Amino acid sequence: MENDGRRKFLGVCLAGATVAAAAAALYPVFQYLAPRSGKTGADKLVFAASDIPEGEAKFFEYAGSSAVLVKTNAGVVVVLSAVCTHLGCIVQWEKDKQDFICPCHAGHYSPDGIVLSGPPPRPLAKIPFTVAGGEITVG
Amino acid sequence: MGLFKRLYDWIDLRIGAREIVEKELTGYLLPRNINGWYSLGSVLLVIFALQVATGTLLMIYYVPDAEKAFKSVTFIMNELPYGWLIRLCHAVGSNMMVAVLLLHMLSTMMMGSYKSPRELNWLTGFILFTLVQGISLTGYLAPWSQLSFWATTVATNSAAAIPVAGPYLVEFLRGGKLVGPPTLGRFFALHVAVMPVTIAALIGAHLFVLKRTGISTPPFGGELSRNPWPVQSYRYHGHPGGIPFFPNYLLQDLTSICIYLAIFLAVVFYAPSLLFTPDAFIPANPFQTPAHIKPEWYFLANYQTLKIFPSELLGLSVQAAAMTFLALLPFIDRSPERNPLKRPVFLVCAIGGFLLWVGLTIWGHFS
Repeated sequence: MENDGRRKFLGVCLAGATVAAAAAALYPVFQYLAPRSGKTGADKLVFAASDIPEGEAKFFEYAGSSAVLVKTNAGVVVVLSAVCTHLGCIVQWEKDKQDFICPCHAGHYSPDGIVLSGPPPRPLAKIPFTVAGGEITVG
Repeated sequence: MGLFKRLYDWIDLRIGAREIVEKELTGYLLPRNINGWYSLGSVLLVIFALQVATGTLLMIYYVPDAEKAFKSVTFIMNELPYGWLIRLCHAVGSNMMVAVLLLHMLSTMMMGSYKSPRELNWLTGFILFTLVQGISLTGYLAPWSQLSFWATTVATNSAAAIPVAGPYLVEFLRGGKLVGPPTLGRFFALHVAVMPVTIAALIGAHLFVLKRTGISTPPFGGELSRNPWPVQSYRYHGHPGGIPFFPNYLLQDLTSICIYLAIFLAVVFYAPSLLFTPDAFIPANPFQTPAHIKPEWYFLANYQTLKIFPSELLGLSVQAAAMTFLALLPFIDRSPERNPLKRPVFLVCAIGGFLLWVGLTIWGHFS
């Protein structure tokens, strides 16, 4: 019985040491592979309002993802995530129809990101912005 | 434990796992006087697996383009979390692999394990040795540093001494007259695709031959040191009454692997600069040859041999003859006696040859 207890204790110690060694080996690998969040794309961007004509859209990288700034025919400015909420494709601006279409599965969004038709389950995410002194500041 | 047993039973019912374990592990008997040197093969398997793992991780961020390679390696070393660790493990591991392979071959020679009927074990092992040197050479260029660029220039240039085809062979190897971007593309493809696959296949062949012939009995420890039978028909060399591979010898394998890992990690953490001269930290410049460029330590003897002989062709021929002799050793040394103490000529040649190699390596280092 005493022998069994010792054997079990050593077994537990060995298993513990193995788990610790595996964790010590896997942690650096995980850190090495982990996405480098916040390292790509600016968090704050400034555009001259005059650079974007009415009815046009400007796509840009924002906080590591794709975003779009729209100035509608009525002169209203909207900043949205350009990532379709269906399967993550990048939406395209249809200037003539003044709406967004996702080329992957024909999801349609209005200029302010609301789903008009197709499979997208949610509207496009809104990105905060301010307009002051002829400049549009995103973020 | 109950869960494990039920899972094991479930698998056993479907694929006969117990039969495999009985045949390949607990019932796989090894000679009673087997020693620690026999575990170097398992150590090499672990090293190869680690090289594949770290190499795959490096490939995620490494860019095999002459314009970007050095920058990508600098990025891995300086900016990625633990990138330095992965890269050092890969660089140190490649050197360790050559060193352990040399030890494995030396122990095989000393135990006379290459002798009939194990010629194929030796041949596949010898080819593996040359391939490991090749994969190390091709990987050496990858960082595109001054060291890697000029060491590759020197190494590839030695083939030019081959009569007639030599200069074309060098150009073919390099993908141009000089080492350049095409060389990196070729070497990268060889390093990450062709050679690892070939090495893996040869490891498979080496293990297959080992399993078919059976493991040799060490020529020490009181048992017969002569090969017990003339090879006239195939026979598996079993070891009735021997010790089981599992758990007995696996423990020896694990011990050797732990000793190896301790030495390997000591170099990685405390002496990584052993492998990197200052030229390793300067991007390759094809117009500026650094002074005293030398190949890796395992090519120093070859490098010095080329320098000793007045003609490069002679130096290359001597090396080719030595390598051919080593490759064909089981066919040249045909006596059944395996104990080195009972083979004075062999012992003198083996020790003399090894000391010559060490001497040339040291000479090459300081020349």
